[in-house]
Amino acid sequence: MALPLPQGLMPTEVAFLCEMEMLFTPPSDTVTPDHDAAITCMRNRKLRPACQPNLQGDTPALKPPHRAQMPLWLALLLKKQRRANIVPPAWLHPASLAEIIHHETNIDPQAFSPPPPPPTRAEGRTGRARPFQENIRSTREAPKPGDDPRLAPPFLPSCTADAPAGYLPYHWLELAEALLAHAADDVPQQAEVRALLRDLQEVRAAKMRGSTQSLEGGGGVVVLRGVGAMELAESRGFVLGVVDGVRKLGASAEATRRDEEANGGGGGRYGGGRGEFEDSDEEMEF
Amino acid sequence: MDIDDILREVDPSSSGLPSSTRDLQSLTRVWVAERSTPELQSWPTDGLVERVNGRIASQIERVEALTGDMDPRSNFALIVIQTELERYKFLVRSYLRARLAKVDRHALHYLSTPELRARLSPTELAYATRHQALLHNHYLASFLGSFGPSLQNLNDTSGNITMIDTPDLESAVFIRLLRDARVIGKGVDADGDVEGKTGDIIILRWSDAKPLVDTETAELV
Repeated sequence: MALPLPQGLMPTEVAFLCEMEMLFTPPSDTVTPDHDAAITCMRNRKLRPACQPNLQGDTPALKPPHRAQMPLWLALLLKKQRRANIVPPAWLHPASLAEIIHHETNIDPQAFSPPPPPPTRAEGRTGRARPFQENIRSTREAPKPGDDPRLAPPFLPSCTADAPAGYLPYHWLELAEALLAHAADDVPQQAEVRALLRDLQEVRAAKMRGSTQSLEGGGGVVVLRGVGAMELAESRGFVLGVVDGVRKLGASAEATRRDEEANGGGGGRYGGGRGEFEDSDEEMEF
Repeated sequence: MDIDDILREVDPSSSGLPSSTRDLQSLTRVWVAERSTPELQSWPTDGLVERVNGRIASQIERVEALTGDMDPRSNFALIVIQTELERYKFLVRSYLRARLAKVDRHALHYLSTPELRARLSPTELAYATRHQALLHNHYLASFLGSFGPSLQNLNDTSGNITMIDTPDLESAVFIRLLRDARVIGKGVDADGDVEGKTGDIIILRWSDAKPLVDTETAELV
C-alpha cells in the first residue's frame, strides 16, 4: 500500500498539478440546446451543491456567449465532448513566444526568463477592462500582499487569457503540450507555436544542464529563477543526485570547516591560522 | 449562490476564496510537501483530511443519487462530478500512501521520541506500533531468540552507534519562495546566502529549508 515512488514529484504528477491551472473557455457556438441545458443545469440551485463542495469550489455557468473560468481538466473534458473551446493564454501567442526566446538567447543567455509578476502587479500592468463577471471574481481571488493563504501555481491565474504576455508561467511546458495535443484547433498558428516551443524548450534545457555547474561548487544555495515545473521534474533525479553526491564526498571537509569556524568565532577562518588548515584540507581531498 | 457568497463578493477585505478551494490548495500543498521531503511532515491538525473525506463522502452520495434517475440531462453533470471526485481521491490516496511509505521505512525512528510521534495521525500511530511489534516478534521467533538477551534489541544505541535508521535530513529539496526572504543554506565549501524574491525556485538542503517551509515563507515543489 505504501507508495513505491522515489522522493520528489514524477512528471505524471506534475502534469496532474498542471491540470488544476485555470483557463478561459467560451462554450462553443455549436452547443445544442440540449447540451447547453446539461451544462447549465449544474448551475441551478438543485444541482449546484453537488458541484460546489469539491475541487475548485465553484462550477461556472456555461452560457454560450460568455466565457467562463475553469480548471484545465474540465476544459479538456468539455473540449473533447465538443461543448466548449479554449482561449489559449496570451503567452502562447507566437509573438510572445518569440519575444521570450529573444530574451532567453540574446538579453540574458545565462538565466531563465523571469516568471510572471505577482498577479496584483500584473493587473495594473495590462490595465485591461474586465468585461466578464468571472474576471471580476478572479481579481478578487488574486492574492494580495500579506494575505493568507498565499497562493502559488497552479492556483494563480497565470494561464488565463488575461495573464500578461511575454512571461512563461510555472507550468508552461505541460500546459502548452496539453493544449496542442487536445485543443490544437483553438491555438492560433499552431505550426509556428510548435516550432517556437521546441526552440524554447531546447534553449532552456541547455540552461538547465548548465546550471549543474553551479551545483558542483558546493555553494549551498542554487537559485533557479523562472524555471518550469516539467523542467524541474525531468532533471530532478540528476540535480538532487549531484547535490547529495557532492555533499557526501565533501562531508569531512565540511565538518573540518565548521569546526574551524566554531573555534575561530565565525570569521576566524580567514585569520592567521588559515595556511595550516588549508594544508589539512588538501590532504583530505587526496 | 447563497448569501455568504454574495457578502464575500461585496466585501473587499476578504480574500474571496471559498473554503473548498482553500482546502484543495492546502491538500495539494501538503501532498507535494510529503512527496518531496525526506522526512515525514506533521499531520495537519486543523482537520483538513477529515473535511476532505467528508466532502468526498457527500459527493459519492450525490453520484449515487444522480445515477438513480437516469435523466440524460444530468448525465454530463455526472461525468464532471465523477472526474472531479476521482482527481480528489487520487490526491488523498497519494498523500496517505506517501506518508505510509515513510512510516514503513523508518518506523522505529518515528516511534522513538514524543515529538516525532506527534507527527503521526492516531491511525498511523496505531499502524506503526502494531507493525513494529509484529516485526519484532517475527525476528525474535526466527533468529533473535537464539542470541543473548543483550543482543536482542532492535533500538540499541550503545557504543555511540544507533541502530535506528533515520531519514537523511540533509538531502536536497526544491522550494519556491512565497514572499521575499533571505535564504541561508549550508554548503560544502561555503555557506550560501541569497536574497530571494517571491516565486524563486531554490535548491538547498532540507534542514535549511525546513524553517522556511514551517513559517510558510516557502513551499516545496
